[in-house]
Amino acid sequence: MTLREPAVAARESATGAIYDLGYRGYDGPRLGRRAAVSTLFWASLRSAFGLKRSGRAKIVPWGLSAFLVAPAAVVVAISALVPGAPTPFSYDDYLWNLGILVALFVAAQAPELVSSDQRNRVLSLYFSHALLRSDYALAKLGAFAAALFALALVPMLVLFVGKVLLAADVPQAFGDQLENLPQVIGAPVLFALPLAALGMAIAAYTPRRAYATGAIIAVFVVSAAVGAILGEATTGTIARLAPLIDPFVIIDGTRDWLLGATIAESPVHDSGLALWWFGAIELAIVLIGTAVVVWRYRRIAA
Amino acid sequence: MPLVAAQALTKRYGPHVTALDDLTLEVEPGIIGLVGANGAGKSTFLKILLGLVPPTSGSATVLGMDVIRQGTDIRQFVGYLPEHDCLPTDVSATEFVSHMGRMAGLPAAAARERTAEVLRHVGLYEERYRPIGGYSTGMKQRVKLAQALVHDPKLLLLDEPTNGLDPAGRDEMLELVKRTGTEFGIASIVASHLLGEIERVCTFLLAIDAGKLLRAAPIASFTERTGTLGVEVEEGAAALATRLTDAGLQAKVEGRTVLVDCPDERPYDLVRDAIDDLGLALVRLEQRRHRLEDLFRAEERSEERSVDAA
Repeated sequence: MTLREPAVAARESATGAIYDLGYRGYDGPRLGRRAAVSTLFWASLRSAFGLKRSGRAKIVPWGLSAFLVAPAAVVVAISALVPGAPTPFSYDDYLWNLGILVALFVAAQAPELVSSDQRNRVLSLYFSHALLRSDYALAKLGAFAAALFALALVPMLVLFVGKVLLAADVPQAFGDQLENLPQVIGAPVLFALPLAALGMAIAAYTPRRAYATGAIIAVFVVSAAVGAILGEATTGTIARLAPLIDPFVIIDGTRDWLLGATIAESPVHDSGLALWWFGAIELAIVLIGTAVVVWRYRRIAA
Repeated sequence: MPLVAAQALTKRYGPHVTALDDLTLEVEPGIIGLVGANGAGKSTFLKILLGLVPPTSGSATVLGMDVIRQGTDIRQFVGYLPEHDCLPTDVSATEFVSHMGRMAGLPAAAARERTAEVLRHVGLYEERYRPIGGYSTGMKQRVKLAQALVHDPKLLLLDEPTNGLDPAGRDEMLELVKRTGTEFGIASIVASHLLGEIERVCTFLLAIDAGKLLRAAPIASFTERTGTLGVEVEEGAAALATRLTDAGLQAKVEGRTVLVDCPDERPYDLVRDAIDDLGLALVRLEQRRHRLEDLFRAEERSEERSVDAA
């Protein structure tokens, strides 16, 4: 383009010159689609925890994170003070018992990632950059899954580190605990993926944050309640399969299938289904949820 | 390589709505005005150029890249300012523009540097660290321009950049658009339904109406003198026209004004004498210039005629 001419003006004076360099262009690298997707991923991951946002935006995510970690920290503290005290939580059932906090995090923060871009119509700016609509959808979904993974991983790591450091023989304990590493990392993954897909599939459908939060809570509460009530009030096949409506039961079944260790109060085994069924259903939730989010962003006006 | 080229570009929404109708054009770098009434197809055209909306038929290239196959490549080199609000409320202008710079593929350090540069250019200083939610419409419009400029695009697409601004804000925005085009040398396409604005900043004009290209030409050719003399009188315009026609001139009546063709200077004396003889009260005597409005008026008239004929 021949239009560009450096606008350089210099005003000479006795003491020196003031240079107005005018506008400078940019000739450096343009990193393209992958950079756009990774920028969006990291920015979304930060916003899931309210980072680089006002203090108010941090209250809910950090509050829930604290509540989720607190029991693990308490367990470790008690073990430190009273050696040999019984520990009420293990890697297997920690997230099972505290899943409600993860669900609340999904309800509160999934809309944070997607609602405001729709409400403020920032989407049209994102789409005017070097990424596809499906890239946007997958970057947001991936960021939220990563946020949930981090959220669930921290208390597991606290338990892990506690068990290692409080042992009489630390290197020995570390070796012993390494066996549990699949649980420590795997259980948070199995939690994060379906909950992210489910939460985003709901949140992506409304620019109104409060509606999205309400809808997500409703889905978790209603599914758990319906599952429990049907399980109690009916008999036979319906009673056996009713708990499967609850996504947390599906997640636990999948965890049981892949990582082992059955939780006594979980209805997984009462269902009489082979454990791989839970894995299949969880996979279906992840795939369908992802497809719904991608489909939504293909169609959305921007 | 033309800045933008379109071949028989057509966009239909369903069987009844035609947003763009067989548009063929080629424009060179400059500040290009894209003018047309609301709903004429301006926004659709810009979105096709961005590769966001696929054309129903026909093809187009931007900076030599095909809009259908190379959408993401095009968007690396194009800055876009949408017509509507498009800014988050809870982040500062600095953070947002720098984020958009990274979205456009700038490395982190370059994004920060360019953000400072473009915010200074659009005239946002202390307020750039405050959340955008508290900005005035004029300031928001500047942020929108800044995010479109942050990656030093080769082409700027500005959709109604003065939307919602008060007269002073309009003047400032137009001045900015003009400086961006002339000082920075960034080619721009400015869509507007206000001819006056286009006239002030653009060097080339694309006029579209109901999805069809009315005209594509340098702006000067629209506003040059027409060789027509407008004679406005209190009353008796018809009598004056008759008298001038009898004297061998081409004259027609338009309201209180008689339009006289002036290929040379002879008609001036004839007009003066005729007005004196008829004892008419002369209001105004002027050299007629083309105005951009005439473009659309002529179109409306021909449309009315075709409706009558049908």
